[in-house]
Amino acid sequence: MTTDTFRNVEGRTVIAADSAESIGSVRGFVLDTAGRTIEAIHVDGHGKHAIVLAWPAVQAFGADAVMATNGGGLSIVDDAHQRSAVKGVVSMVGTRVLSVEGRELGTIADVEFDTGSGAVVRVATDHGQIEASRVHSLGSYALVVDEAAPDSASTQL
Amino acid sequence: MKLMRAQDVMGRPVVSISSGEDVAEIRDVVYDGEAHRLVGFTLNKRGRFAGRLKAVLAAGSVAAVGPDAVMIESEAAIDDTADRPAGLDDLKHARPVIGNRVLSADGSDLGKVVAVIVSTGDVPEAVGYELQPPDRKDTSFVPISAQMALSGENLVLPAAATDFVRNDLAGFGAAIATYRSADMEGDR
Repeated sequence: MTTDTFRNVEGRTVIAADSAESIGSVRGFVLDTAGRTIEAIHVDGHGKHAIVLAWPAVQAFGADAVMATNGGGLSIVDDAHQRSAVKGVVSMVGTRVLSVEGRELGTIADVEFDTGSGAVVRVATDHGQIEASRVHSLGSYALVVDEAAPDSASTQL
Repeated sequence: MKLMRAQDVMGRPVVSISSGEDVAEIRDVVYDGEAHRLVGFTLNKRGRFAGRLKAVLAAGSVAAVGPDAVMIESEAAIDDTADRPAGLDDLKHARPVIGNRVLSADGSDLGKVVAVIVSTGDVPEAVGYELQPPDRKDTSFVPISAQMALSGENLVLPAAATDFVRNDLAGFGAAIATYRSADMEGDR
């Protein structure tokens, strides 16, 4: 599994593999409401004119460029879920982390994801790391996660 | 057992575990003084100028009360149309407990109730009262018991509960755990 982080890939060029043309750059991500998987990449435009690339159209998430299969995965944002993501209402980085017990566990500093599948691997907060298996949901208020098992020592990034 | 004063929960956001959205905030605590039972919470909309929500949150629909938020499984927990405990619809008739005098079984005045103490974590429950004794500056905590008689404005603390009165909330948490397990054994 190859992983990368949201902060690290920000601004990476997105290229259409068939035409070799640039179709934008990585501006942000649309995640599913469970906060576990990338659904699309925000590649261009703002607000309701934002253009997203659906994750299945990502042929390769390379170290220097993101390669997209021929244009089909590109679309203008078309639902409230995608719009709230491209507008930054729902986003991983900067969002508070809240445990299912109602305790704040810091703010998300960065997100590590699997460049092959788009699955979130772990989330880095100012208080330590949280494995994706602990994540319940991502909303505009918080990323809701299970409390850490008492024996697992959290590590700083 | 982790405890807090019921009024400390006011203003806390109500957050859905399934969506990560803050769907409301706690407006007020609904407490049944006669049954010594936390019924639930009335709600406000989120936002600075937002008003009252018609929907209410029953204590049984709470997933957890934490230091930073009240958690619910999903938005359905505050569904307006769902069944709700009678007490929540009947606020005006709920018997207030704040200001009531608590007497020991041997007739000494232990003080007036200034707060209801609830357990945090999973389904919140009323477990004690904070009292302002007549002759002291600091408050004390007494356990709630089903046998606690209420008449007019007087509550009588059963003799068995006297040993569990504490002067600090943290110590009271430990005392309550012991008291409640003993109380349950007594019922059998």
